[in-house]
Amino acid sequence: MAITIPGSPQDMPTTAPRYVGKEVKRIEDPALVTGTAEFIDNFALPGMAHAAILRSPHPHAKILRVDTSAAEQMPGVVAVLTGADIKRWCNVGTTAPEGWGSTPMAVDKVRFVGEPVAAVAATSRYVAEDALELIEVEYESLPTVRNPQDAVAADAPLIFDNQPSNVIQDRTYTWGEVDQVFDDADHVYTEKFRWNRVGANPMETFGCICHWDVVNNSLTCYGSYQTPSFIALGRAASLNLPSNRVRVVSHPHGGSFGGKGGPRGTDIAALLSRKANGKPVKYIEDRVEYLLAGAGQSWDRYYQASLAVTADGKLTGFKVDLVDDQGAGAEGYGTISAAKPLAAFTGCYTIEAAQYHMKLVATNRAPTYAYRGYGPPPHNVVLESMVDIAARDLGMDPVDIRRRNYIQPDQFPYTIPSGNEYDSGSYAAVLDKVINMSEYQAMRQQQREAREQGRLLGIGVVNTVEPGVFDWNAYSTVGVPGVGVPEGVKVAIDILGHITVTLGFTLEGQGQYTLAAQLVADYFGVEMDSVRVTYASTDVAPPHFGHGGSRLGVALSGAIMGACKKIEEKFRLVVAGLMQCEPDHVELMDGHMRVQGMPGAEMPVAQVAGTMLGRSDLLPPGMEPSPEATYVWTADDRNEPDDQGRCKSYLTAANACHIALVEVDRDTGITQILKYFIVDDCGTRLNPANVEGQIQGSVAQGVGAVLYEEYVYSEADGQPLVSLFSDYLLPGIHEVPMTEKAFIETPSPVAPLGAKGCGEGAIHTTPATIVCAVNDAIAHLGVQTRETPISPNRLWKLLQDVVEEN
Amino acid sequence: MKPAPFDYYAPETLEDAVALLEKLEDDDVEAKILAGGQSLMPMLSLRMARPEALVDLGKIKSLDYIREEGGNISIGAMTSKRAVEDSALIREKQPLLHAATLHIGHRQIRNQGTVGGSFAHADPAAEYGAIAQALGMEMVVVGPDGERVVVADDFYISFLTADIDSTEVLTEVRAPVMAAGTGWAFQEICRRQGDLAIAGTAVTLRLENGNCTDVVIAVFGVNAIAARLGDAEQLLNGKAPSEALFREAGRVASAELDEPISDVHASGEYRRDLVATLVRRCLLEAVERVG
Repeated sequence: MAITIPGSPQDMPTTAPRYVGKEVKRIEDPALVTGTAEFIDNFALPGMAHAAILRSPHPHAKILRVDTSAAEQMPGVVAVLTGADIKRWCNVGTTAPEGWGSTPMAVDKVRFVGEPVAAVAATSRYVAEDALELIEVEYESLPTVRNPQDAVAADAPLIFDNQPSNVIQDRTYTWGEVDQVFDDADHVYTEKFRWNRVGANPMETFGCICHWDVVNNSLTCYGSYQTPSFIALGRAASLNLPSNRVRVVSHPHGGSFGGKGGPRGTDIAALLSRKANGKPVKYIEDRVEYLLAGAGQSWDRYYQASLAVTADGKLTGFKVDLVDDQGAGAEGYGTISAAKPLAAFTGCYTIEAAQYHMKLVATNRAPTYAYRGYGPPPHNVVLESMVDIAARDLGMDPVDIRRRNYIQPDQFPYTIPSGNEYDSGSYAAVLDKVINMSEYQAMRQQQREAREQGRLLGIGVVNTVEPGVFDWNAYSTVGVPGVGVPEGVKVAIDILGHITVTLGFTLEGQGQYTLAAQLVADYFGVEMDSVRVTYASTDVAPPHFGHGGSRLGVALSGAIMGACKKIEEKFRLVVAGLMQCEPDHVELMDGHMRVQGMPGAEMPVAQVAGTMLGRSDLLPPGMEPSPEATYVWTADDRNEPDDQGRCKSYLTAANACHIALVEVDRDTGITQILKYFIVDDCGTRLNPANVEGQIQGSVAQGVGAVLYEEYVYSEADGQPLVSLFSDYLLPGIHEVPMTEKAFIETPSPVAPLGAKGCGEGAIHTTPATIVCAVNDAIAHLGVQTRETPISPNRLWKLLQDVVEEN
Repeated sequence: MKPAPFDYYAPETLEDAVALLEKLEDDDVEAKILAGGQSLMPMLSLRMARPEALVDLGKIKSLDYIREEGGNISIGAMTSKRAVEDSALIREKQPLLHAATLHIGHRQIRNQGTVGGSFAHADPAAEYGAIAQALGMEMVVVGPDGERVVVADDFYISFLTADIDSTEVLTEVRAPVMAAGTGWAFQEICRRQGDLAIAGTAVTLRLENGNCTDVVIAVFGVNAIAARLGDAEQLLNGKAPSEALFREAGRVASAELDEPISDVHASGEYRRDLVATLVRRCLLEAVERVG
């Protein structure tokens, strides 16, 4: 039987939702603020050993010899792992596209600084690190591929011997009559951009405890896993186990943002456990390991873009040429982040034709991984900067050129040239609201007055579309086939009427457990406090993916509504039997199953559940005594991509407009954010406080990426120069503005309860906003910045050129 | 990120500490003094420092004091930076030292970090290096042969190296009480609040008949050790303060620097130019303060 998922909170079986749409207290927080959440490093198993990993100091080298004899004899050492073990027990990891991966530990050669070369399990991490110092490795240096220029040089050394070159993918997507549109344009603007490597830095690095059951030849991995089922499948593949013999237990973790990698660390800890005859082995990645070679590096990009514009400011065509330095292979799915912009390639605009040349190359930098936003943040810097370039040349205000080109509310659902369908939006309304809130015209006046005093103030106005609820189909073109991302939950009501939700992901920070409780409480008319939300490991949970791609709030809503609806259908049959009426005449409302037209003929939900479990004699014949249901949700109406990568991929299209006022210090090149305003529209706000948290946190990461953070590599020899937080500069509370926020709600017509994915919108928008604001401050001097992060040194250098010219 | 093995000692008196250091030296054991640990502990964890023994001064309570004596502010080496920050005496009588303290790390670091630890560690980006040079501070060092007093200019030898022997303990630092009518300023450029400075300057000056006099300019974060900028000081002495003069002083200061440090945050060229800006801005601020 087809289950209909409510399209709006008003469609839920309650007179008025008491929790959905409200800023309820998060049920996750008591455990966090009392320090009782079981983070992996607080967890221990009896007899557990501790792992440390020896890592390559070379970007590219042959391994000639590894001698572990001294380490093996050191007291306290229980197992030592080297490439020889890996060769015997491991497969090369799955990558997208195939064939660009490595084993969890280098066997014959190393491809980046920090790649694991050997590992030790010992009685403590201290002893394990001491033992690492006794391992001798002899290397033979190979020429380093420092950057994409090196990678594509005629005599470039091959990073992967099984590949004909260092180019992972080189492909051009063409959407619409691009040549025609550019020929017809009154103006064509072309610019180059450079986005330097940044990435996720969760407060907690990756950690795990692996237990290899040598009797049953099966593996259990406890750890800080973002996408447990995905990790379990990957381990089965790399460790040569049937997928039903790998069990992943995800522990609450201190953030992820895509950066909770863990495949290599898990495989190494698992094999150490195997080698130690089944002793559990804990591996806690430290910050130096994380920064050098964890899953924290993303988006290392060189762009050239062209925008076709008519004389009156209509944007007609957009071409992007991207060279993306993926680092040493595709093990971290960094390729996906180059493909994701297809889901919102042309932003908020009615640009009719577009082209994307994507060249993904391997180098001897660390492999790139997922990071919140997964690719669009740099793309939006390019698109929005290009729009400002056109506006400046045409003498238009950045607000006016954007408004002129918006997709209008009556044009939805709207298919963009790159194939995705936007579900809904009210872009002009969002823009109007943020202009009013920021007193935009007054800020322009302030800017003029400041300029007369020689101060450099600038205003950035940027709007973006946030693709929400990812689907694998968006990434088929880079080698991750599939349509649909199932997310399942089980909802069960016990004999006393208490409700438990079981799901396959754990606490990561976003507050989805609270959302689950809100939804179930309103559906069955019970107190939120009485709903228990509980985690199930991969072996027993329904099919699930967990956090990622701004999908979980929406997917979880769909799954919970579906499961509740299935229970409601069962209850309808039970109550119809008891009340001797047609099931169609029974309805659920405010926690009671009621017979229509018969006042007083009703049963509370708890009583129906109790009856099912305790009085089978009263149930309709053949009915299963089961007041519970599992529902696995995936987005409707998704399809396979065509030959140009076009498909209905991300289900929802949230949008936002940011306005920032910045001041650039002409002498020092320091950019200060003076004011920051945001209006966003992510449809129904199921928990407004959670949405605001997502926005503010995502702004922080955007500020980091655009002004502070950078994984610097030596131009001379390709060595990483950043391995500490004193050099990788995360913005702190003094650097991140507390933004002034407002919103409008244009509910999604296609998503459960009308909610749109909203986990990444601000990081999509903030970097572009700051870039545009800085350029607005300095463009009149004849210079503009096209490189992030806009470090003081970089901006000073630009401004020096002006000083010297004058 | 775990330290290599080391032996740990926590003597309770200064005499015991010096005796212990002497014994370790005799036994050919490489020892390192632990004060607040804000620099040393990360270095141990990264195995960048691997002493065989740590001598923790944390139990020597007699080294925790701030007092005014003989025209100086004397600060015990184990006094926390937070105590300096909170000291009304220092705020009133040595406001430059106080202002610089507020720039050291974050409050949690100042709670734990000690004054002596900072002076002894001699980090090029440490605020106290510039203050020591600007104020001509004195350091009191105690060893097996007793006490010696070292002036700032002699105390700082090179990158992370101060004039303290392996059997000696820095026990006290002394800054003169600031003379009435002194204008002062302290400014630094950091990537983020609380970071190590990529360049910073401290300035003191007085005005006599409307002209600058007794100008002192110290710079830090730019070279291996903090330094006075004599050319710029000389240029200013005896001249009437003006924006143009201070701009020129900035240029001279910038030009007289040794080749500045280059790192991922700032090129040497950029640091050199920052010094010009900082000197100019500090001079303006200092003159303003004279009133």
